[in-house]
Amino acid sequence: MKIFRNLTLAALAASCAGALLSFPAQGAETDVPFTADIPSYHEEAKSAGIDHSYTGPWEYFVGGGVASFDCNGDRAPDLFLAGGSSKAALFVNASRTGGALSFRPKDTGLSDDDLTKVLGAYPLDIDNDRHTDLVLLKLGRNVVLKGGPDCRFEKANRAFSFDGGRAWSTAFAATWEGSNAFPTLAIGNYVDRSAPGSPFGTCDVNQLLRPVTGEAPDYSEVLPLEPSYCTLSMLFTDWDRSGKPSLRITNDRQYYRGGEEQLWDLPEGQLPRQYTASEGWQRLTIWGMGIAEADLNADGLPEYALTSMGDTKIQKLDDEAGEDRPTYRDTAYELGATAQRPYTGGDIKPSTGWHSQFADINNDTKLDLFIAKGNVQAMPDFAQNDPDNLLLGDMAGRFQEKGMEAGIALDTKGRGAAVDDFNMDGMPDLIVVNREAPASLFRNMGAKTDWGYRPLGNWLKVELDNGKVNHAAVGALVSVRVGTQTLTRRIQVGGGHASGQTGFTHLGLGVAERATIRVQWPDGEWSHPYRVFANQHVRIVRGEDNARYWYPAGP
Amino acid sequence: MTLTRRYRMTLSGMALVLTLPAMAADPWDERTPALGDRTTMPTGRLSRSDLDALTAQGEALFSAKFTSLDGVGRPGATQAIIPTRRKHPREQTFFRTAGLDAGACSSCHNEPVVGGAGDFVTNVFVSEGFESADFDSLDPQFSNERGTNHLFGAGLIELLAREMSGELQAIRGKALEDARSSGQTVRLPLSAKGVDFGFITADADGSVNLDELAGIDTDLVIRPFSQKGVMTSLRQFTVNALNQHSGMQPSERYGARWTGTDDFDSDGVSREVSDADVSALVAWQATRPSPARVVPDKSGWAEAARRGEQVFGDLGCTDCHRTSLPLEKADFSDPGPYDAAGTLNDTQVAEPAIYDLTLNDWAQHLDRDEQGRLLVPLFGDLKRHEMTDRDITGFGNELLSQRFVDRNSFMTAELWGIGSTPPYGHRNDFTTLHEVILAHGGESRKTRDAYDAAADQDKSALVAFLKTLVIVP
Repeated sequence: MKIFRNLTLAALAASCAGALLSFPAQGAETDVPFTADIPSYHEEAKSAGIDHSYTGPWEYFVGGGVASFDCNGDRAPDLFLAGGSSKAALFVNASRTGGALSFRPKDTGLSDDDLTKVLGAYPLDIDNDRHTDLVLLKLGRNVVLKGGPDCRFEKANRAFSFDGGRAWSTAFAATWEGSNAFPTLAIGNYVDRSAPGSPFGTCDVNQLLRPVTGEAPDYSEVLPLEPSYCTLSMLFTDWDRSGKPSLRITNDRQYYRGGEEQLWDLPEGQLPRQYTASEGWQRLTIWGMGIAEADLNADGLPEYALTSMGDTKIQKLDDEAGEDRPTYRDTAYELGATAQRPYTGGDIKPSTGWHSQFADINNDTKLDLFIAKGNVQAMPDFAQNDPDNLLLGDMAGRFQEKGMEAGIALDTKGRGAAVDDFNMDGMPDLIVVNREAPASLFRNMGAKTDWGYRPLGNWLKVELDNGKVNHAAVGALVSVRVGTQTLTRRIQVGGGHASGQTGFTHLGLGVAERATIRVQWPDGEWSHPYRVFANQHVRIVRGEDNARYWYPAGP
Repeated sequence: MTLTRRYRMTLSGMALVLTLPAMAADPWDERTPALGDRTTMPTGRLSRSDLDALTAQGEALFSAKFTSLDGVGRPGATQAIIPTRRKHPREQTFFRTAGLDAGACSSCHNEPVVGGAGDFVTNVFVSEGFESADFDSLDPQFSNERGTNHLFGAGLIELLAREMSGELQAIRGKALEDARSSGQTVRLPLSAKGVDFGFITADADGSVNLDELAGIDTDLVIRPFSQKGVMTSLRQFTVNALNQHSGMQPSERYGARWTGTDDFDSDGVSREVSDADVSALVAWQATRPSPARVVPDKSGWAEAARRGEQVFGDLGCTDCHRTSLPLEKADFSDPGPYDAAGTLNDTQVAEPAIYDLTLNDWAQHLDRDEQGRLLVPLFGDLKRHEMTDRDITGFGNELLSQRFVDRNSFMTAELWGIGSTPPYGHRNDFTTLHEVILAHGGESRKTRDAYDAAADQDKSALVAFLKTLVIVP
């Protein structure tokens, strides 16, 4: 805790004082009543078989991630939870479709050394063998686990020439650049504890790992991303519709000196280059904890939710700056999504935001924003009772806080999280990894009525198959047309807070009973339209004329 | 007019009401009394008297000439089935092509009686209605023109479709189960009530390949209503039609839950059509009697009709126009099981209403098979077929697909009642049965050619037979 006592409270006070004194908890006032469904979440971690806490001393004040992915081929999301000083754990999904959540712990066969000191976990198939691999972010040497059938994993650092370093790793992202057979990996590191003067001004260097050309993944060549500013989340993103990924990084101002938020240009075959003020990038310093991306108005130019202490940011490309200039303005206040202090519990001190994730949680076509919240540990100047946010998108294009009504306003210290459909009923569920407390697992029951629960709006879940290389189509854009609306989702690996997921991409369809899907594959090629019906798991295999449907096993 | 109904008006609507000569309590009030007459949806199994009361309200609503005080008009919304705001206001309330185009349901559904079909003059124009909401042209690049179907026997049709959807989805489930247990790809024929819908192929990973489906949507839900077979239920059709034709917006789709406002069409009237109102309309439509066979008492007709029925089978007409399909149970539940959100379904309410269609007197006259199943004499198969080919293009006058259905693909027209509902064809533009038979191309080409080659006496007999399939007032 000592390291946080030197927090630059003056700066925080300057940025938040106005909001705390006179502003509502989430941003600009709205007189638009929220009339859409509010999902009712039922916390059932214990009954579901998940009793897992993220623990440890100050190195584990950050981290606490979860990977949500299918490791046994049944397409239902399984869970790998970081444990900090405790062992990370794998839980295999045994939930019945639409039923109570149920998971079974699964022995990974990995050593205690590999499973402890884990801060985060991101799933992706690095070697294109159609088994999802896992990248474990650790305090110390990071680990790549090569996935096999039936949730078997083997350590693949050597096989992939992945050194793993010795840093305090807290962020990860991946994408396929150009025609590479294997993904480019980015690893964000936090404080270099061994540097003189640590922890302040001693941010460790982030790394870009481009695959060396060959038959197997080879990450022996590591590019430093200097300068680095104590990164807590990173995400490859096509911010300018160029078709080329850039790397967005959010950094913790608590420790850096002279740092800022970052956007890296990644010219193919050339060294990474940080965007500068002369190109339009504007300096922003926050306690950056997590990144979530969504294209809220489907214009092809994504917005970014950045969590921090105090105000959450929702950055939108500034219309007046020109699309080719990475100049962003913060729209969180006008969207009602600053979420700068707790919305319940009576604590008016600033919030501390961690994992952020956009999803259509109530299936009304409007994107919602989940933010995991929680005091770093016992920071006296920040809210102690700091419930997670559920900011539901309203019909006016704003967000309204409904965490209390939804039942997720627990007094926990949230960190990583995953909004995912664990019981495959089309209504997104939620897992939150909590610090020093059991993880919360919420089942989305639908909307509560006086006679029970009714399902939410229609939905669609889409799985892409891009072929032999990058089969999960990381980098692809899913564009869904319903009526006059276009809904988009980008397939990404990275962002959030130490947490990632793969598998079906979920969209809410509201009252639409059918939809037309087009896919922009990672190489930029657009698919023909696929006509599908609502409330289906859809598989789109590149090159096939028709989409396929998929159905979960059992009743 | 109840207080509840009166308070439905928003403030702007109130202002309008205050200027009117007739007050709500006056018997000459220009609002529809039956609208909002029932405050809660019917639930549970209905008795005959419950059903009679419900259908009486439904009939009143079906025949009502709704007014602006009821909520007619949608100045702020288009006719689209997904609530869609209008980009620009327009001057006319009524508009023959894009709607509003009807004062009442019965304005079009009225031949030979209310609930029946309509002449060419009642044709309507369907488009997806999103981008060209105000098309004022009959050019087929903007809309598809549709004749008005009759609703007699509609409850039985919906029940048949539900049972067939259940059968087909059970086959899909079996294919998946077999594929998963065997680790092999499994391909099964899709057949329901003897009607074939192609094949479904399931892989061991739980995927299904939909390439070989025939005449049905990919979710294996039979949508029995509309000429294209794109409407799942009477309820869905009712919700769509109220908005499109009258600008009367049912809350279950256009209400605040899905649109953020109780007056989505911005006409000053909130909550125009309640869930219970829709239930009443559904009940009345679902209980319309099934058409019957009536041979006119004219010399030679009975014999010709007998011969014609023989010819009907011999030529292959019954391949699609199945004489009857068996129905396991006549319990009609509303809301039903297959509607998606936006139309109420049985998971969206505490308990649906259930009414046994055999409570109706007309149902007593239906035949049953040896298993006791009702034989629904629809003369259809609830399947879509391609109806044109290179040479025969009579049904190929469209440029727009509708709801994912190809331009030349149509649901087999149920022929029960056809003797009462000329003109014929999906556009109501064939004046004789002979002409519409000769317009059959595509999948029905062989049968059509057989008819064309048949002896004149047989052709005549076939017409005589078809004209015995009538709606009995």
